[in-house]
This record gives sequence, C-alpha cells and structure tokens, in this order.
Amino acid sequence: MCRSLLTFLRGSQRVTGRRVRRLLDKSKTFHVACGVTICIFSVVHVSAHLVNMVSFSVRYSEDFPGLNVAQYRGQVTHTDTHMDIFFPGVTGVLLVLVLFLMFTASSYCIRVSSYEIFWYTHNLFIVFYVILMVHVAGGALKYQSNVETHPPGCVQNNLSSWTNHRAAGEKGTESSGAPQTVCQEEARFQPHFPQTWLWVSAPLCLYCAERFYRFIRSSAAPVTIVSVISHPCSVVELRMLKSGFKPHPGQVSPCPTGKNQTFGIHLRVLGDWTLWKCVFLPTCNISNLTVCCAFSSHPRVHVDGPFGSPSEEVFNYEVSLCVAGGIGVTPFACVLQALFDDWRQYKLKRLYFVWVCRDLQSFYWFADLLCGLHERLWRDNRPDYLNVQLYLSNTQGLQSISEERYRFLSSRLRIGRPKWKLIFQEIGRANQLKRVGVFCCGPKGISKALHTLCNSNPHTETAFEYNKESFS
Amino acid sequence: MGKIEWAMWANEQALAAGLIYATGGIVGVAGQFRGWQFAAFGIAAGVFVCLLEYPRSKRGKGTSVERTGQYCFTVCVNAFGPLTRNYYVRAFLHAALCVPGGFMLATVLGCVCLGIASLIYLSAAIHGEHWEPILPRTEPPKRVGDSIKEPPQNPPPRPPPELRRKKADKLETAAYDNPMSVTVNE
Repeated sequence: MCRSLLTFLRGSQRVTGRRVRRLLDKSKTFHVACGVTICIFSVVHVSAHLVNMVSFSVRYSEDFPGLNVAQYRGQVTHTDTHMDIFFPGVTGVLLVLVLFLMFTASSYCIRVSSYEIFWYTHNLFIVFYVILMVHVAGGALKYQSNVETHPPGCVQNNLSSWTNHRAAGEKGTESSGAPQTVCQEEARFQPHFPQTWLWVSAPLCLYCAERFYRFIRSSAAPVTIVSVISHPCSVVELRMLKSGFKPHPGQVSPCPTGKNQTFGIHLRVLGDWTLWKCVFLPTCNISNLTVCCAFSSHPRVHVDGPFGSPSEEVFNYEVSLCVAGGIGVTPFACVLQALFDDWRQYKLKRLYFVWVCRDLQSFYWFADLLCGLHERLWRDNRPDYLNVQLYLSNTQGLQSISEERYRFLSSRLRIGRPKWKLIFQEIGRANQLKRVGVFCCGPKGISKALHTLCNSNPHTETAFEYNKESFS
Repeated sequence: MGKIEWAMWANEQALAAGLIYATGGIVGVAGQFRGWQFAAFGIAAGVFVCLLEYPRSKRGKGTSVERTGQYCFTVCVNAFGPLTRNYYVRAFLHAALCVPGGFMLATVLGCVCLGIASLIYLSAAIHGEHWEPILPRTEPPKRVGDSIKEPPQNPPPRPPPELRRKKADKLETAAYDNPMSVTVNE
C-alpha cells in the first residue's frame, strides 16, 4: 500500500522489467492475501492460547513456581468461586476486536455501498500495530536463564532423598545411568525477549514516511479548479491546475501537455459524494456540452498522486487492445490524447479500441477526441493504427449517431454485446507472432471473460497478455 | 458523510461475530473449561446468528449482491415476517444472545463482537432501515401480441400495374400474371 514507492519502482525503467511491473500491479491482491492470512492465524493463535491455559492450570508446577502463569493448580477447570476471570491477555482481546472491525468493513459490498466505513475502520491499523508491539510484553512464555548452574536432571542437595528419587524417576530411563550432578542454585526463568517489534516496525516506519510524504506533496501546491464541464449521462469533467503535477498518460484524462497545463478528471455522478460536489459547482445551464464559469472558492480539493497504473503499459506493446466499459474509458482517453499529440514517439504500432456502453449519449464524452485522432492518423498516412469498435449493449429502439462530424463513429457503432472470441480471432490473424497487450477497465464480467480468453488462447502464434486495472 | 447503510455493515459484523462465538464455544467445550455450558450455549447461539444473518438484505438504492446460495435462507427468514424485518428486534435479540458469552473466557470475544453488531443494528433501526428479501424478479414471459391470431385482411401493397410489367420472353417463368399485355422492347 506504499503507493508512491510502488509508482517510483514502476516508473524506473532501468530497474524493473515488464514482468516485475506486472507483479507490482498486484499489490492490492497481495495486501488482501496478507489480511486474510493474519485473520486465519489469529484464530489459530487465540485457540492455542485457550488450550494453553488449560495446560498451565493442569500442569501447575510446585517445584518451579517461577514458571507458572496460573495462580494455582486447576484454576481453569475447578469451580469454587463463581466468576474468576483469569485474564492475562487484554492486549490480545483488543487486537482481535480491532481486527474484527477492520475485517468486517472491508468486504466488497461495503466498499461499494459506503466507502467511508471501510476507510475509517481501516485506519485503525495504527492502533493494531501499536498494541501488537506491546502484546508480547506480558511474558507468558519463559526460558531458563541459568542452564549451566542448574542443568536438567540435577539433584538438589538440601532436599530429601525421596524428592530426589522422584525427580530422577520423572526424567525417564535415560537418566538412570547418568551421573547425578548437584544443583548449584535454583532454576531461574526469564520471559523471552519480545521480537515482534523488530519485524513490524520497519515496514510501519516505511508506510508512515510514505503517508507523510504524500501529505506534504498534496498540500504544498494548491489545486485550482479551472472549469467544470457537464457531459451527458450525468458525467462531470473537472479541469484543474496544480503546479508540479506530472502525471503520465493513463492516470488522468486529459493529461497536461506542453500546450495545456491543466489536467482533468471525469466523474460519474452516482453516489451522494459526487452529488454533493455537483451541488456546489455552479453550472451556467445544463445542456449537452456546456463550458461553465471558472471558480476558485469552496470546496477545497487536494490531489494525491500520481500513482502508476497498468494502463501506462499500453505504449510498451507493439499491438494493444483496450477494452472500456462505460465510464471506464477515462484511462484510455488520456492514452488517446497522448497519441493525438505525438504518436510517433511510442513503441505502439497498432491500437484496437473497444468501447461498450449502455447509453448512446455516453459516446459523446470522447467523440471529438476519437474523431480528431482518426483524422490526424489519416493525414499522417497511418489509417490502420487505430481500430475502433463501439458497442451499444442496450438494444431497445433504433439508435444511431446522426451528426455529420461523427461519421467515423456512427459507421463503427454496433448494437449488442461484443463477441470477444471473434474479436480475438480477428486480432490474432492480423498480428501473428506478436505479443498483444490486453487492457480492460470496466465491469467484472467483461474483465473475467477477457482474462480467461487471454489465458486459454487457442492462437498459438499470437500471445495475449492481460493487464488488469482495478479500482475500489 | 451522506447516507450510510448501517444495516449492511451490521450484517457483516453479526455474521463474523456468530462465527467467532461458535468457534469460541467449540474450544470451550472441547477443552472442558469451567463453565463449558456457556460454551455450549455459545455454539448454539453462534450457529443461529449465522443462519439468521446469512441472507443479505436488499439495498435501499443500488444493486444488491447476494451471497452464494442464500435463496433458501431468504425464504426461511422472510417467513417470520416482522420479527426478522425489524432491526430493533434483531438488535435486542443479539444483545440478549451475547450476554451469556461474557461469563466464560473462550466466548468473551464472541460476546463483545456480537454486542458491537447489536449496537450497529440499533443505529440502523433508528435510521429507519428494515430488512428486505432479495427475491428473484419474476418477469412476465414475453407474450406474443394478440394480433398474431388475426391474419391480415388485405394483401400487401403492390406497385401500380405499370411497374409490374415483365419481359415478354420470360413469360413462362413469371411469378404472377400481367394485367396488361406486354410487348418486347417497350
């Protein structure tokens, strides 16, 4: 979760190859796996401690009183007093409580429905780590610190011979022939040195440093919102200006370029956070594409990032397939913008762009960009560079893009869902012996279908490599 | 903060708390701790809470994601009517179930977790939420329109007779009769 560090590692091309970058993209999956492992082993740990309590109570040792954790033999199983809660593990109970709160709030449906619950409970991790470091300080587990002066099997010289015989008899048959040494002093026991903090504090310090750096960076330069544009299908584009902000294509759409230092994001108004924002941003009149008055007053916006994403890899393949579902087109919009500025400098030779939407109006978000890029490539005599397919999954009624200037799009519009197998066959046949990068940003169904198709690829000449973009 | 659906979070917590309660109970009974009867009660209560909380409620707005195989549980829970739909009842039920767990160390964790879930259910009830079953939508089957039973009364419109001419030399293969005689090279 040290995103700046991961972005830095990702960005340094000399240090990491493509396979390592793809591994770094799985950082969130790794985090989830660690969390689940912690929960499972906590359950095992707690159960083991409970069983351990029985052992401490049953095997209460009168010979070595320093070793005991129980206060008398049979403390746990006997019942004379009604409620004798024998509670050495307060830190343990607190740890499990915090873990319980964090774990129950991180399920997928909670993240989707109310992200704030997830965010605020997950920030309890700092409490978890602090308590974890003092958890071992209870000292239940001990070791003997004076083995040289009191070796195992030695006899006490001031005890009766009956005790010595009993002690000797307990050791088993091996010690019956061994010479009996005399104990020089009583056995002393010390708790083990707590080592948890050694393992935990280094990554914790790294994470705290990273959060501090991100906080400083995001609050150092203020962000001014330059303009707000409202698009059809309840999408709002915010164009902002921040000095020293250098994102790569694939991270925001559109990117700052040499001519235009503003960057923008497209927001789909879905939940109450986005709705609240829209209330505060004044718009002149809500029509299809209205450029609104600039404003610089509330609400204050801080921008954290930029962070690397798999979509940056689009330019590192010779052939790429970008599949976007609905509002998921925004990472690719920046890719298209970068190609529009200068397509020659990249390794990419051919781009297949598939955009699936439920509503016809959604295609108007980036219609100008697509048509502009097509025209630019046509003029530069590379008409096969960009292959666009638009799919409208809502099959009701007669729908088409009727504007004359969007004829490029209307002729590539298909009604119905895309048939991925056919698309893959077509791409495979046209690009044999090449490695095609597949990028998907959309609903899980599409993502899963593409992933299985890439891995079970029957085209042995073309290799499809799947790069997954994940949100939430 | 906006409108948070407390019931969804309380549901996840109660399910996890039920599991913790049952696990603690199993350890308590297996180790034959003092007060293992409370542990046995913990197992029963934990299993009951898990069964009650397994079916997710339908969300107020937005798409509801079902848990795998929750349909039969939905039907059972829905059969109890207002007892299970009302979150006040659930909050007090969980509070009552969690109290015996506090008397024994193995189940005290389950007790605390279930208590927290009960508090969040209380908050959900105060916000006016209630449990809605997620039932599969029975769409009316696509019925063919009634007009299919009435064949058309009139023939389809045809072009005027002047355009229906065909070549004289192909008269034998013509599909229809010419109302006017045709001659070659007309």
